[in-house]
Amino acid sequence: MRKPVLALIVVIAAAVAAGLFARQKFHAGSTLTARPTGGDFTLQSSRGPVSLHDFRGKVVLLYFGYTYCPDICPTSLGNLSAAWRMLPPDLRDQVQILFVSVDPKRDTPERLQQYADFFNARIIGLTADKATLDDVVRRYGAVYRIVPVKESRVGYLVDHSAFTYVIDRNGRLITQIPHGTPPKEIVRTLMPLLTHKEDTP
Amino acid sequence: MKKTLAALALSAATCLPAAWAADADQVQVIAPYARAVPPTAPASAAFMTLRNRGDHATALIAADSDVAEITELHTHAHENGMMMMRPVARIPVPAKGETQLKPGGYHIMLIRLKHPLKPGDKVHLTLRFADGSTKAVTAPVRPINGMSHMHHGNMHHAH
Repeated sequence: MRKPVLALIVVIAAAVAAGLFARQKFHAGSTLTARPTGGDFTLQSSRGPVSLHDFRGKVVLLYFGYTYCPDICPTSLGNLSAAWRMLPPDLRDQVQILFVSVDPKRDTPERLQQYADFFNARIIGLTADKATLDDVVRRYGAVYRIVPVKESRVGYLVDHSAFTYVIDRNGRLITQIPHGTPPKEIVRTLMPLLTHKEDTP
Repeated sequence: MKKTLAALALSAATCLPAAWAADADQVQVIAPYARAVPPTAPASAAFMTLRNRGDHATALIAADSDVAEITELHTHAHENGMMMMRPVARIPVPAKGETQLKPGGYHIMLIRLKHPLKPGDKVHLTLRFADGSTKAVTAPVRPINGMSHMHHGNMHHAH
């Protein structure tokens, strides 16, 4: 009687251990490949260096683009700023939109800020040297590529991903919003991350 | 540039047999607009629908504008979430069909703007088609989506 019970216990224990190991492995794998880590960064604004941790306590919407972009970037920033304006004033203060230019050769922080101001949503324009930008871009799972185009007189074009990265009040990358998402949907994504008046004691 | 255009227009007018309708006459331009951009933006874009009433296919092969130093035909391709803007030599318009120039797709790119484009401004465009015929188009400047307080930016579709 004892022996079979013992054997059964050993078998169950082995199965549980194997299951745990498999789960852990799977989890580690998906963490590495599917989820960008995000994290803190410091970039240059027209008023000096700005870091992500400056906005602790706020939800940050991070977008990578460039001002030579006539279509995709204005559409994205237009939608983000419209979403921001849809929020009640007390919630607006909890949201910061950052527009990071991956084209520092043409976009100085000053030019970038004038561009950002147009959207009337307190957007901060940021850029940096290529090495710094590449690091931030990679950590957030964004991509861009400078493409010399001889058929165009603009000299070069910039291919880029057009997601908006949503960072919560603790600086954690939560999700990404696809290009073309209407302002109302952006608001729906933001709402659960914000502190509402009735929530606070 | 004006001289070139005038010469083009003249050659188009004189060379074409009377019985043949020029592409420019067959193509109807619907709801053209240019996009308002921030004051320091170096570029903008113009959009419209080109409807070809004719029995033969044509293409938009060039455009010129009075607001930009350079006017080019571009398109967008999306690959794995990557937005790629590329110049194109022609934007085809099928016989008895239409082609939309719209955000995220074909557009007339206005590069090195001579002055910022504000809502209410007008952009004068000259479109040149495959047979060399040209068409003058006036495109009003419209606000970027969500930048209009009226909640009807340029999201409206011609069709």
